[in-house]
Amino acid sequence: MRPFHPSYIITALGQIIPFLWVTLATMAGTVFFGSLAGLMLARAKVRRRPLSRALANVYIYMTRCIPSIVLLFIIYYGLPELLLAFGININGFDKAFFVITTFSVLFAANMAEVFRSAYEAIDPGQREAALSAGLSEWEAFFRILLPQCVTVALPNFANALVNLMKEGSLAYTIGMVDVMGKGQLMIGMNNGSYSLEIYLALAILYWALTIVLEKGFGYVEKRLSSGKRTAAA
Amino acid sequence: MHINTEFMAETFLASLGGIPVTLEITLVTLLISVPPAFFMALARQRRKGIGSRLASAYVSFIRGTPVVLQILFLYSLLPSLLNYLFTQVMSLQVNVFKWNTILYAFIVFSLNTTAVLSEVFRSALSTVEHGQMEGALSVGLSRRQAYARIILPQALVSALPNICNATVNLLKSTSLAFMMTVQDITAIAKVRAAYGYNYIEAYLVVLVVYILLCTVVQLLFKAVERYLSSYKKLIAA
Repeated sequence: MRPFHPSYIITALGQIIPFLWVTLATMAGTVFFGSLAGLMLARAKVRRRPLSRALANVYIYMTRCIPSIVLLFIIYYGLPELLLAFGININGFDKAFFVITTFSVLFAANMAEVFRSAYEAIDPGQREAALSAGLSEWEAFFRILLPQCVTVALPNFANALVNLMKEGSLAYTIGMVDVMGKGQLMIGMNNGSYSLEIYLALAILYWALTIVLEKGFGYVEKRLSSGKRTAAA
Repeated sequence: MHINTEFMAETFLASLGGIPVTLEITLVTLLISVPPAFFMALARQRRKGIGSRLASAYVSFIRGTPVVLQILFLYSLLPSLLNYLFTQVMSLQVNVFKWNTILYAFIVFSLNTTAVLSEVFRSALSTVEHGQMEGALSVGLSRRQAYARIILPQALVSALPNICNATVNLLKSTSLAFMMTVQDITAIAKVRAAYGYNYIEAYLVVLVVYILLCTVVQLLFKAVERYLSSYKKLIAA
């Protein structure tokens, strides 16, 4: 039986945590670009133009079927070649660029569904009532519709974010040094020893992050939907 | 950009050989995970007691950590642990290191899918109203019969879309089985790609194969759902 040193988990955590910002920064980048693309997809799905709607549906369907690791490899190996054909050289780009691109492609599809369901959950009567009360179209959107949409979207968004964080751990396979990458580097430098302790440290870290995200979003959701409860009472 | 189409056609045919392995992992995992997931859902429905707490902690841990990490952890732990258990503790003449690594894939993905499915079953059980159970008991069915004949058939219909989702996600995550040297679709394509650095072509092929597989799975679930929910139409008619 191999030796097991529980105290090394703490040591490993201490060395891994400084790389947390890489994980969080790639997540933030992905959320930004993925949400933008998701917003466009959701718009295409909600508006009744057959062609753009069909394209959005195909996009969402296909990305749902693709394992993220396969897409990550395609973009990591393929995108530089594709862009080189157009005379753009991105071979020296940071690994984070490929990670953010890959996960934005996948995250956009999730976000499209989140946005669409939030948009469709709001009764059109809300907009009409706001307009008839004398608000402009913009005011009605920002003061009446958007706050309601956000409450509906938050739980789904939190879910998508947690999934993104977990899938994002695959970034180490192309050599990005986030928390997972750092853990793998440490195992490599130790010639494979302490691997159990390091994986446990990573598991604790990811578990803690997930709980923080879920509790945090749960709290925000409760705060935001307080208006709903008073309206119902 | 140069795409080697001949290589793609060959890889496509070769990776078809990996489909049985991928499907085997998916099916065996589902078969192993359904019973414990169901009992975990029942335990969590009671909301009290040590069983419910343990099940919640388990689900939270599995859902809070990446699948890759679970694979890496268990794949570095299990072989030596099992070897120790068999040869030292039980003093059996078993060589764990000669086992097919697909066994570890079954273990890892089952642990994961059990957690996912227990959530699916829990929400499905909560969609069946309480009156159904009371009604079943009042006409003289035992608790077990009530579950098997009244509650489960109804819960299953509402669970199917989520089970379909879980299956598609499982199918996708089996692409990580190559880390345990299992020869699935991804592994076959990866090895072929390494010969001539044809990574793009190989992974494009894998992408197409997964889209095809997912489509088949989703169509199957649609058909089963239509068949199982036929009782709803009878009531409506």
